[in-house]
Amino acid sequence: MASVSDMYDVTWEEMRDKLRKWREENYRNSEQIVEVGEELIQEHASKLGDDIWIIYEQVMIAALDCSRDDLATTCLHELKKQFQGSHRVKRLAGMRLEALERYDEALKMYNDILQDDSTNTAARKRKIAILKAQGKNTEAIRELNEYLEQFVGDQEAWHELAVLYINEHDYAKAAFSLEELMMTNPHNHLYCEQYAEVKYTQGGMENLELSRKYFAQALKLNNRNMRALFGLYMSASHIAASPKVSAKVKKDNVKYAAWAASQINRAYQLAGHGTKETKCSLKAVEEMLESMQIMPS
Amino acid sequence: MAEPELLLDSNIRLWVILPIVFITFLVGVIRHYVSILLQSDKKLTLEQVSDSQVLIRSRILRENGKYIPKQSFLMRKFFFNNQDEGFFKKTKRKVVPPSPMTDPSMLTDMIKGNVTNVLPMLLIGGWINWTFSGFVTTKVPFPLTLRFKPMLQQGIELLTLDASWVSSASWYFLNVFGLRSMYSLILGQDNGADQSRIMQEQMSGAAMAMPADTNKAFKAEWEALELTDHQWALEGLEEELMSKDLDLDSMFSSELPTGIF
Repeated sequence: MASVSDMYDVTWEEMRDKLRKWREENYRNSEQIVEVGEELIQEHASKLGDDIWIIYEQVMIAALDCSRDDLATTCLHELKKQFQGSHRVKRLAGMRLEALERYDEALKMYNDILQDDSTNTAARKRKIAILKAQGKNTEAIRELNEYLEQFVGDQEAWHELAVLYINEHDYAKAAFSLEELMMTNPHNHLYCEQYAEVKYTQGGMENLELSRKYFAQALKLNNRNMRALFGLYMSASHIAASPKVSAKVKKDNVKYAAWAASQINRAYQLAGHGTKETKCSLKAVEEMLESMQIMPS
Repeated sequence: MAEPELLLDSNIRLWVILPIVFITFLVGVIRHYVSILLQSDKKLTLEQVSDSQVLIRSRILRENGKYIPKQSFLMRKFFFNNQDEGFFKKTKRKVVPPSPMTDPSMLTDMIKGNVTNVLPMLLIGGWINWTFSGFVTTKVPFPLTLRFKPMLQQGIELLTLDASWVSSASWYFLNVFGLRSMYSLILGQDNGADQSRIMQEQMSGAAMAMPADTNKAFKAEWEALELTDHQWALEGLEEELMSKDLDLDSMFSSELPTGIF
């Protein structure tokens, strides 16, 4: 079987740097990490120096994602040898048990960590993840709320809470969690867009107005967010089509919807630039926009 | 009065000034490693972590509250500041001022700090004073008044000697402070050999996460939050957005990334 370095003609330094990039930017491309990381630790372990421990951790988590228990056990064994009694390694051992669906044993490990160090956030979050994996959504939400009462600043947790609430169709609370995220990351267009979508789903005139505003905000932060552009079109036409609005509001929203439609057309034109299918796809876009027009019921 | 220029023996340069520099530097490096060995972990309680995060959240609400709808902002402000139920009004933390007598970990920290910093300085300063005594080492480039004479000219009993001529002990102290930048160059920032920084810390008296501050911090946040108003940043956003076409350049590149590298 060809090795990664042969297939792509890269040196071990480039592989290591690529792993670091994935680690720092929080990628979850587990199959690729396993491919690159496995070769790195098997062939080039001695050259990596102290970097190897964090690579072991990264590869182990990726291996758990890909059901590679053999690779995960190897990594865990090396880490246990080097860092005895470490909470971080214990959490990894717990994660492996979770991957094997031995939830009770994993729970016991996390409780041990928490007894030793009550401020350890990683163990608490893993316990919540176990509840989620077992499908106990309501309990997971409850535990996550308690966790967030203590650690109000944990953004990953707020996002997880928002997703859980969306799954339970509790949109008001999901909106609250997303607001926390928008406050801490005012320049992140994705949170604005997700918030706008939740508001749109909630429905009602006020929420539609808010959703239109936040789709516009997402677009302002990132002009290329197509989803926000479509969302703007949808929310504006929804408001315009509603019978209860005043004439001025209706006129404004028709204007917004028309602008959004023209931008969508422009985007599709640019996308198909130079290809023969452009005319067909543009026609398809126009028909789609027309069909998305919301008629007053 | 004419200033008699003293000509110092060049042996002084070789056998006094340079050794003192080396001694100070090496002692500093040793102190740095000793302080690393003697370092104790600071254990934070759950409450301290939680409180610090709450304060951060309140601060973020004040600064970035304008990005969320008015209703949500008011809801959170109410949660924090309400007369009866507000978080900042309701929670009172138990205040235990960290005096060295009651808190054993502070006591050990203080002793360790003294041992690693003050003690060596005194010992070596005294030893240098004893070894290299009886002669003048160097001249400071600025004129000093006579009151500095007994301090800087230890061991030299000359009434007419200009106060600018100092003994080796003062050269040692000069080195202690002067080599600070050398330490940061060689040992990296935040090193244990940086005496003046440590002395500054002791003088300001504030350790990390002082519990007595929590109640005061809550009160200060309460006041600041009361004063904050909600200026919605999204007012008039659509007009601004639609005044020009969207910037869709380089959205579609003809090259797709293939594979890992």
